[in-house]
Amino acid sequence: MQIFKEIGVLLNKELKLEWRNKYAISGILLYVGATVFIVYMAFFEMEPLTWVILFWVIMLFASVNAITKSFTQESKKRQLYFYSLVNPTALLLSKVIYNSLLLLLISFLIWGGLSLFVGNMVVNVQPFLIAICFGSLGFAVTFTFVSAISAKTDNSASLMAILSFPLIIPILVTLVNLSKNAIEPLASEGVQGDVTMLLAIDLIVLGMALLLYPYLWRD
Amino acid sequence: MKNISWWKWLGVILIVYTFLAGMLVPLGHGIVEINPRSVKTGEQAQFTLVGYNSHYEQDKDGLRAWLKLDDEHAIGAKEIRVKGDRILELDFDIPAYLPVSKRVQDFSLILDSETDGTAVLPTAVLVTQDSIDEEKGVSAWKNSAITGLTVTTGMTFPFRAIIYETIRNTYFHVALWLSMMLLFIAAVVYSIRYVRDPQPIWDSKARAFTSVGLFFGILGLVTGMIWAAYTWGKPWSNDVKQITTAIALLVYLAYFILRSAFEDPEQKGRISAVYNIFAFVLLIPLIYVIPRMVDSLHPGAGGNPAFGSEDLDSTMRMVFYPAIIGWALIGAWIANLQYRMDAIREKWIENLD
Repeated sequence: MQIFKEIGVLLNKELKLEWRNKYAISGILLYVGATVFIVYMAFFEMEPLTWVILFWVIMLFASVNAITKSFTQESKKRQLYFYSLVNPTALLLSKVIYNSLLLLLISFLIWGGLSLFVGNMVVNVQPFLIAICFGSLGFAVTFTFVSAISAKTDNSASLMAILSFPLIIPILVTLVNLSKNAIEPLASEGVQGDVTMLLAIDLIVLGMALLLYPYLWRD
Repeated sequence: MKNISWWKWLGVILIVYTFLAGMLVPLGHGIVEINPRSVKTGEQAQFTLVGYNSHYEQDKDGLRAWLKLDDEHAIGAKEIRVKGDRILELDFDIPAYLPVSKRVQDFSLILDSETDGTAVLPTAVLVTQDSIDEEKGVSAWKNSAITGLTVTTGMTFPFRAIIYETIRNTYFHVALWLSMMLLFIAAVVYSIRYVRDPQPIWDSKARAFTSVGLFFGILGLVTGMIWAAYTWGKPWSNDVKQITTAIALLVYLAYFILRSAFEDPEQKGRISAVYNIFAFVLLIPLIYVIPRMVDSLHPGAGGNPAFGSEDLDSTMRMVFYPAIIGWALIGAWIANLQYRMDAIREKWIENLD
């Protein structure tokens, strides 16, 4: 089980890297805090539906910001060094797992921030937790893969937005639908379908990313 | 001329056929409107009917009309007077009671003509009753069975309320859309071949098929918006399929921006092929799953009639299927010219050095 070992080592490396250069993670945290506060200043009070949509919009932009650097933070030389050592699947999976955990943290922070300033609109916690978990996974896979593509270009930041925003819409639409159940006292019957749909999209995207990454990584 | 392969001829013939048949074949017999739309029970009701593509003057004796609730309950017209090729006056004796336990019930009008065939206007007339007696109503409405409807031969497209003549757009809007999917599938197949075996020709073909697919997608969107302007009232109604289409076009426009970001042809080919495959797989839930989960103005969703077996009759199929193949072949021809141009350009650049 060489691959699990590789994933473990790479994940450890990501965490250590993040811990030692605290500016990246603290930048994201500040970004989330500032956005939530701006939203609060703009709205003061909002409808539950607006709350849910704003939650996912903040989440979308925070995720893009957090993940864009996944492949650009390391120099070309260091990447070459990784390529000679590890399996491409392990490299991608370690980044996906790390980014999912990061997005999970970010989404709880947004939830907490919005609850603090605007109030907690989530009545039904279970569908919302499911949405956050699968949403973080879907966002992480899609954005990580697109950042791997855009890192190959000179203008990676703007290309990241152009490439990933249209691609994320199926996941985003399902997430908003699923979260609408969370703000109503009685969950509607559509929850099961939305969860299945979300899980299916996540798995398809993950499968495609793992399948295609070996062709993408070498230069 | 001899050098043109057979499939290009076939494409041209099918497209010419699509335009000729799609534009020239007339619509079938239909009812545009009827007046008044609501009557009371026990009345001697007189209706004025306006037909479409009808020849009532030629057919004075062969006309029959019914007000119908379901297969069991219908009454025939007492008298039909022809006022012109498109205008009829119908007299009905509405019975004193309705065959239902409701105050108001809608009835469809069926008009059978020996020359033009049968026309149906669903929910043509609302009949109101003051007191309810279902049993008397059932016996009163049984008096006329609908039998011996005329089956017309010859090519006509079905007459549908609201859509009317714009039904011909099926051969352009829907057919362009389906052939766009075929072109995108071809592009993905070439992208897969490129990542497995990086020959410049596969990348060139993938790019050519994607660009023609994008072009057809834009044409499909524009024809759809023209259609929507006539049938839904405005070109853009934020329908779920319109939105997903706009997203799909953004995804493919991003493909071309991504391509332009690379200088090295090998890197350009490989990364854009990977993106093309990834994007195509993500488009499947976007185009085929999400529109089915949300209400749409498009046929086949939210209670609208689908272009299924009922709406796409055999005459329409005779034009619709050739139209899809024809558009796909024309698209393949345009793509073919594009990737051959690429090859020529490459040769030319080689010769310059």
